[in-house]
Amino acid sequence: MVAKRVPEAGDVLQGTLDMLILRTLVMGPAHGHTIAHAIESTSENALEIEQGSLYPALHRLEDRGLVSSEWGVSENNRKAKFYQLTGKGRKELNAATGRWRRMTRAISLILGESFD
Amino acid sequence: MWSDRLSRMRFLFGGRSRAEVDEELEFHIDRQIDANVAAGMTEVEARRQAAIEFGGRERVREQCREQRPSWSLELLLRDLRFALRGLLRNPGLASAAVLTLAVAICANSTIFSLLSQALLRALPVDDPSRLVVLNFAGSHPGHRHSEGGSSEGHTYEFSYPMYRDLREKNLVLSGLVASAPVTAGVTWNNRSEAVSVEMVSGDYFQTLGVRPAVGRLFAASDETAPGANPVAVLNFDYWRTHLAEAPVVGKNLLINGTPFAIAGVAAPGFQSVVWGRMPQVYVPITMQRTVEPEWDYLNDRKSYWITIAGRLRPEVTLAQAAASLNTLFLSVRAAEFTALADQSAKTRQEFIDHAHLNVEAGARGFSPLRDDVQAPLIIIMGMVLMVVAIAIVNVASLLLVRAANRVREFSVRYALGATSGQIVRQLLCEGLLLGVLGAGLGLALAPATLSLLIGWMAQDSPNPQAFTAMLDWRVFAFTAVAVIVGSLVFSLAPAVQFWNPRLAEALKQQAGTAMGGSLRFRKTCVALQIGFSLLLIVGAGMFVCTIRNLRSVNPGFETEHLLSFELAPAMAGYPAAGVAPVEQHVLERLGALPGIRSVGATNDEDLSGNNRAGDVDVSGYKPKRDEEFDVELPWVSTGYLETLGIPLIAGRTFNASDTATSQKVSVVNESFAKHYFASPQAALGRHVGRSGNANRAALDTVIVGVVRDVKHTTVHDPANPTCYMLYLQMGKPIGLAYYVRTWQAPQSAENSIRAAVANIDSKLIVSDVKTMTQAIDDSITSQRTMALLAAIFGGIAALLAGIGLYGILAYSTAQRTREIGIRMALGAHRATVVGLILRETLILTGWAVAVTLPVALFAARAVRSELFGVSFVHPSVYVIGIVTIGLVAALAGFVPARRAASVDPARALRTE
Repeated sequence: MVAKRVPEAGDVLQGTLDMLILRTLVMGPAHGHTIAHAIESTSENALEIEQGSLYPALHRLEDRGLVSSEWGVSENNRKAKFYQLTGKGRKELNAATGRWRRMTRAISLILGESFD
Repeated sequence: MWSDRLSRMRFLFGGRSRAEVDEELEFHIDRQIDANVAAGMTEVEARRQAAIEFGGRERVREQCREQRPSWSLELLLRDLRFALRGLLRNPGLASAAVLTLAVAICANSTIFSLLSQALLRALPVDDPSRLVVLNFAGSHPGHRHSEGGSSEGHTYEFSYPMYRDLREKNLVLSGLVASAPVTAGVTWNNRSEAVSVEMVSGDYFQTLGVRPAVGRLFAASDETAPGANPVAVLNFDYWRTHLAEAPVVGKNLLINGTPFAIAGVAAPGFQSVVWGRMPQVYVPITMQRTVEPEWDYLNDRKSYWITIAGRLRPEVTLAQAAASLNTLFLSVRAAEFTALADQSAKTRQEFIDHAHLNVEAGARGFSPLRDDVQAPLIIIMGMVLMVVAIAIVNVASLLLVRAANRVREFSVRYALGATSGQIVRQLLCEGLLLGVLGAGLGLALAPATLSLLIGWMAQDSPNPQAFTAMLDWRVFAFTAVAVIVGSLVFSLAPAVQFWNPRLAEALKQQAGTAMGGSLRFRKTCVALQIGFSLLLIVGAGMFVCTIRNLRSVNPGFETEHLLSFELAPAMAGYPAAGVAPVEQHVLERLGALPGIRSVGATNDEDLSGNNRAGDVDVSGYKPKRDEEFDVELPWVSTGYLETLGIPLIAGRTFNASDTATSQKVSVVNESFAKHYFASPQAALGRHVGRSGNANRAALDTVIVGVVRDVKHTTVHDPANPTCYMLYLQMGKPIGLAYYVRTWQAPQSAENSIRAAVANIDSKLIVSDVKTMTQAIDDSITSQRTMALLAAIFGGIAALLAGIGLYGILAYSTAQRTREIGIRMALGAHRATVVGLILRETLILTGWAVAVTLPVALFAARAVRSELFGVSFVHPSVYVIGIVTIGLVAALAGFVPARRAASVDPARALRTE
């Protein structure tokens, strides 16, 4: 019954965002703010994500059982929601990383080293 | 899968609530503000930057909610809430649609429940699919006792010796059962009454797989020799209602005065292997002579009186069984032929060469009633389907009108960002809601309607339980689903308009010129409704005429002030010699009662669907070669012809000088005299006789009078040649139907009659007391039912068509407000405007009528066998139908037309 949403611009990279979030959580449980900053800083600020779009992605991942969440206390002593990678999430991350590597390799093979 | 379900559960118990999402997002932003302040921004700047970096907060919240597992459920609830609000905004239209659907569902499931009981239900026995029913083609010289249901080439009655041969010599059946119905006098606790008894073979219950509720049922040892097995099994319902579930096993029950030991009670729900029989007591078939003393059938190969059904052996197919049984049947027939008196080639051909045993699948059992009810029920089903069709067209047009009225609402919502998917979803929800409400209301009404209908049909019926007020749930579910799917589909019809790619332009023009396609659709709807209604109204007219004709038929004698009842002394245990004297006594006693003009009796009730026919030898008449001519042969008492008031045209009627020992006399009717002699006068003094056989002595009577023809079997059958004989002179103890002509209302005589009979002997059972007009009504029950239902359906159809027409016309007239405004501004009168709209309506009606008339003629022709005294082209029926539907259309058009004409032109022009 639910009508299919028209894909928005950001959706193209949705799968990639999921992968990035999972990758960030390998380091240990974190709340949304930490994850956003980790992605930005690890990519040397090349990937600047709209911070708000992180949350629908996190909730989606939680529904799929790839991450679990828990309320905890943040570094500045406030109540915050911490996300943690599940076993299923770890497997999905491996699979997604593999897919990504194969794809980028294929693309770079086509593009070649450089051309004049 | 599991985690998915778990998260759904979590939602139910709170889980990720809206507040939680808010808190999480708030934390993020606060954290970012802190970070920005730490990076050296001012408080205000930090807040601004944080908001920018976060993006649209409301959208994120929305997206988070959409990730929730319960999201689709929430959407559905929201849509339903919307739909309900939408329906309530226009309660008149919504309730019209719901009522329409409810009427359709109720009518459909009621009628189909009846139909499935009559035509489709299997017997409540073990593995009914292995049952077979036997009937045969070929002549059956001798005596045949039929409940009906037989037809040319399909005689369902067999002789008992033939049954024994088939049962004992066949190799394909694991059991073959015989049964025959009879009415007998049953006495329990000194209370006597006439009850239905079924004579059954010893293996009857065992073969059918019926178990005892109490005690034991019959076994092969209960079918040994004629008169040797006085045991009885009770029907469960009879045991419960008449014997109060008393411990009965081993106790005695008197049947026709003979004690029968009760062996047990059959399992609840079981009635008979023959559909429609409602026996209350079962006795072994070998007791035939006791329960039915008038006849001696058991050893007679020329008495056809039992119906038989068998159970196929495992591994045997119907075709194999049919072939094998037919061979056996033919060999028995060949042996039977040698014992016939008539050995002519023609008899041989009819008896052997034309003979064939038919084996039919018998899961539903043989039913003498089924043929009678089949045609009427199928006609009624056709009417119901038409009502359902009207209902669906009606709902479709109502929904369409509704949607068209909401173009503006939808365009606003579309402009505000609703997707077409959301609009479609909402339309579907409204359709669903209508369908479910209609189905619910239909469900609430159906059981009451069904029992009302059955109660009405069973009024005074000889076996009131033939139909049970049980709603067939499969039928109901089917109808409900059909209607719900129908309303869903039609709720989508308007959505087609919104998928128009040039929607924006269409909306700009809005209510202006109606779109061509939907206009044609609406016109089709109107025409269909008018057409179906006309069909139903014409049908109703035909059946109402039929019933009126049947009621007013003159049977040839006065039917008012005539009361009948039955009394068989044998049921009270009278021995053969005592029957005639007590009957004579009853006749004398009743004739002397105050308020009674005269009394007579017959063994062949009038206008009850029964007849007793046979062939006779007439002196001075040379039968044509191979002539077979059966005449009606009622045995009557002195005073019978006078009581009924059958006019005498020659000679004399029976009188006191005709006694058991005097010269045997007969009175014939006009048709009889015409067939055998030139004139009524010529008949007087001639002899009418019958040759003797196992069941009767040879007979010779002198014709002493000729009377006018009167209707005998039913009011719609023409009179047969009839030869009345005096029962006293027949020397056979029989039960009689008594006719009492009264001065006052006939019902008032019942008590004095009962008292007078009880005064003679309290054991005598007076049963089936009814007036002649009641008897006539009973004999035309199926026509009455049909007339009533047709009238109801015709009325419903006209009403539904009226509602549908009104809805459509109200809409299309409203669409033309501006046009009407212009016309009136240019000087048109109100009457002109009303006339304009009415004319268009009536032209459309005219087209619909013109198209429907040939269909109506064709349909009426198809049902003409159910009509009486009215031709299928009867003009007045059609004229009344057309006028009715024209009036309905005019009325439905007039109201909106008047409303349109009363609009102020200035305002009408400003509507855009």
